[in-house]
Amino acid sequence: MEAILEMRNIVKRFGDVVANDHVNLKVRKGEIHGLLGENGAGKTTLMNVLYGIYQPDEGEIIFEGRKVRFKSPRDAISAGIGMVHQHFMLVPRMNVLQNVILGYRTPSDPLINHKWVESKVEKLSEKYGIDIALYEVVMNLSVGEEQRVEILKALFRDVKLLILDEPTAVLTPQEVDSLFYALKSMTKSGLTIIFITHKLKEALKVTDRITVLRKGKNVGTVITAETSERELARMMVGRDVVMDVAKPEVEFGREVLRVEDLWVKDDRGGFAVKGVSFSIREGEIFGIAGVSGNGQKELEEAIAGLRTPARGKILLDGKDITKLGVEKRNEIAYVPEDRIGVGLAPSLSVLENLMLKDFKKYRKGLVLDYEKMEERAKELIEEFSVKTPSLHSPASTLSGGNIQRLILARELSRSPRLIIASQPTRGLDVAGIDYVRRRLVESAAKGCAVLLISEDLDEIFQISDRIAVIFEGEIRGIMERKEADYERVGYLMAGGLEVAV
Amino acid sequence: MRWNYLAPVISIVASLAVVGVMLAVMGINPLEAYIVMFSRSFASKFGLAELCVKTTPLILTGLAVAIPLRAGLWNIGAEGQLYMGAFAASVVALYINLPEFLVIPLMMAAGAIFGMGWAAIPAFLKAKFDLNEIISTLLLNYVAIYWVEYMVYGPMRGKEVYNFPYTDLFPDAATLPRFFGTRLHLGFLIAILIAIAIYHILKRTDFGFAVRVVGANPRAADYAGISRQKIIFYSMLLGGMLAGIAGMIEVSGIQLRLRPAISTGYGYAGIPVALLASGNPLLVILSASLFGFLYVGGSALQTTYSVPVAIVYVFQALIVLFIIGGQSLRRGD
Repeated sequence: MEAILEMRNIVKRFGDVVANDHVNLKVRKGEIHGLLGENGAGKTTLMNVLYGIYQPDEGEIIFEGRKVRFKSPRDAISAGIGMVHQHFMLVPRMNVLQNVILGYRTPSDPLINHKWVESKVEKLSEKYGIDIALYEVVMNLSVGEEQRVEILKALFRDVKLLILDEPTAVLTPQEVDSLFYALKSMTKSGLTIIFITHKLKEALKVTDRITVLRKGKNVGTVITAETSERELARMMVGRDVVMDVAKPEVEFGREVLRVEDLWVKDDRGGFAVKGVSFSIREGEIFGIAGVSGNGQKELEEAIAGLRTPARGKILLDGKDITKLGVEKRNEIAYVPEDRIGVGLAPSLSVLENLMLKDFKKYRKGLVLDYEKMEERAKELIEEFSVKTPSLHSPASTLSGGNIQRLILARELSRSPRLIIASQPTRGLDVAGIDYVRRRLVESAAKGCAVLLISEDLDEIFQISDRIAVIFEGEIRGIMERKEADYERVGYLMAGGLEVAV
Repeated sequence: MRWNYLAPVISIVASLAVVGVMLAVMGINPLEAYIVMFSRSFASKFGLAELCVKTTPLILTGLAVAIPLRAGLWNIGAEGQLYMGAFAASVVALYINLPEFLVIPLMMAAGAIFGMGWAAIPAFLKAKFDLNEIISTLLLNYVAIYWVEYMVYGPMRGKEVYNFPYTDLFPDAATLPRFFGTRLHLGFLIAILIAIAIYHILKRTDFGFAVRVVGANPRAADYAGISRQKIIFYSMLLGGMLAGIAGMIEVSGIQLRLRPAISTGYGYAGIPVALLASGNPLLVILSASLFGFLYVGGSALQTTYSVPVAIVYVFQALIVLFIIGGQSLRRGD
């Protein structure tokens, strides 16, 4: 089959860092081509080069047989390349139609010919099997629908090649399935798709061929039908990986956390958590699955003490802590979802960040004993193998994995009774993911109660003892891991109701 | 990192260049003008003393801006806090009978407390209701300035001032000692000692640690259980206190009485002073000296070339613009 796109020897440097080191990519017309690699492997950089966001330092791009050089996404779009970013770029207050034609000149420009737009969208919907209410306001759409709007936006511009950057990150399993179905039917109509992902299972499921990048370099391109998860993992990481941190069976001890009929408001004043109750025992990992934005943030903040619940009770070791401030909840360790925005003061040093919660304990007379703090910080860095140039480097200079290690070092070293870990492995590489899960499992084995909040079902299933699903602020079903399966959890995540068996 | 040291230097040089062009347009050779500014400030004992005299309040108002700035707050109200401090010190100097050795300490305490109290209003509103401190501190400046004006036109007008809006001269016990036959007074030393003390407080105490965290990331402060309200309140109060002391030193060291316009914008100049020093108390001494030099050099320009002294404010404004512009450029890359 002919190649629609060929990227040859692409080099892109950022200062001293080589993000793409002579990368080659050849995409055939009509295929779904997976671009696989860990975070920081250079996938997104390569696509940004293709899309005209970055200019390559070396190398050439051949699209539809012609050598091209895109100075901006505008050039790429007019050549027939579309990109759906990981974070959607829609205007929430506008309706679907307005979003679709935003920045597009309809034939009747500057007026908008709604009939013309409608008929064009209708044709596209028929051709590619995407169904969307054109006059619905984007704010009211589900994440899956928003993604379809993004895709429609690209198709509307008559793209021949569509780039999807981690499109499944925010979807429920059911939405993922329907996305995959739509993608397949699009390629049947002649569209070519580049699918960026770091999830092996997805790459295997939906792609025709896969190109793997590691540390900015090509590892190789394989035909999906002829490869396996193990081979892909080895290509991605560069060595064999054991991907199983198993949660050993332990005797659960006393109840550590008890949440009773908790109601919590979000920043806009509506209820984000509606009457949630559960409890966690010593040695137990309690996983809450759910698509982001269903009340997880408010729930974890209420338990951590950052948000006052409107109603209900939070008990820690039998003591009512509902009204206590963060500083009086020392037995709770909290690994927040937004590590850099909440868990860290990025411009401050590694030392200061490690001491963020404990600095008052190092008071000697009027001043703080920095020598002792440094000693302790060194121990922590050692124990949690945080890689940093020095104790005094700003925390923002650390890599994502090391930032998470820093936070874990601070939180877990305070001998907590309860650990709240929210999306603890999001955005980490395989080694980092492995480390974080291992730490959580170890802490549980030592008698901690762990509340794991995650969108990643693999993670939930891998290390939780019990699994709950949160949807629109309500807990939909709490089950033992042994009884749980992906279908059932996915069904609940999407808002399905548990039917009495 | 290199940028942090380079940015202030670049913005000073750029401002010098722009002001140079303005001078050239007025038909003055900028190089000659700058030489005049220099020689007037550095070539004689009196020049140096004047430099220190102008630098003194700038160190304190610079700190008054710098401390809240470290906690992420803009104290635009140093000018008003300075006026209230000067007012309180004057009341002590003129109306309270005290043993002589107690007069200066009590004036300083009164100035500190009134400066602090004046800052407490916006600080409370910010901590409690999240009211924008830029607006409240700025507006309170006018209240303070007009309050002092009212007092010297009315209740506090002196008996020996021939209807000028002044208070009487302070008694000797209420004036700061001067040195070397110049106007250099004890306040200069006090300001430097305060700057050093603040440096150590911010660097080494738990209060300083908390201020840094709040300034770097308020959400991380909440997360770590550091009370943001408390830090906002106290850092603003500390700033107000220093501006109040600046007011006391100004009336007790230089004016020797209370009158309107005791400050030629020292409180506002504190903003570029603090920015140029990126909030570092020791660097504040340095950047305050630069602005002190501008004041002295500016009046030298006025007497030599009859250039309006406003050129000094143009210079100040340019430095602020260049610093802020530089920051946004850095964020852009």
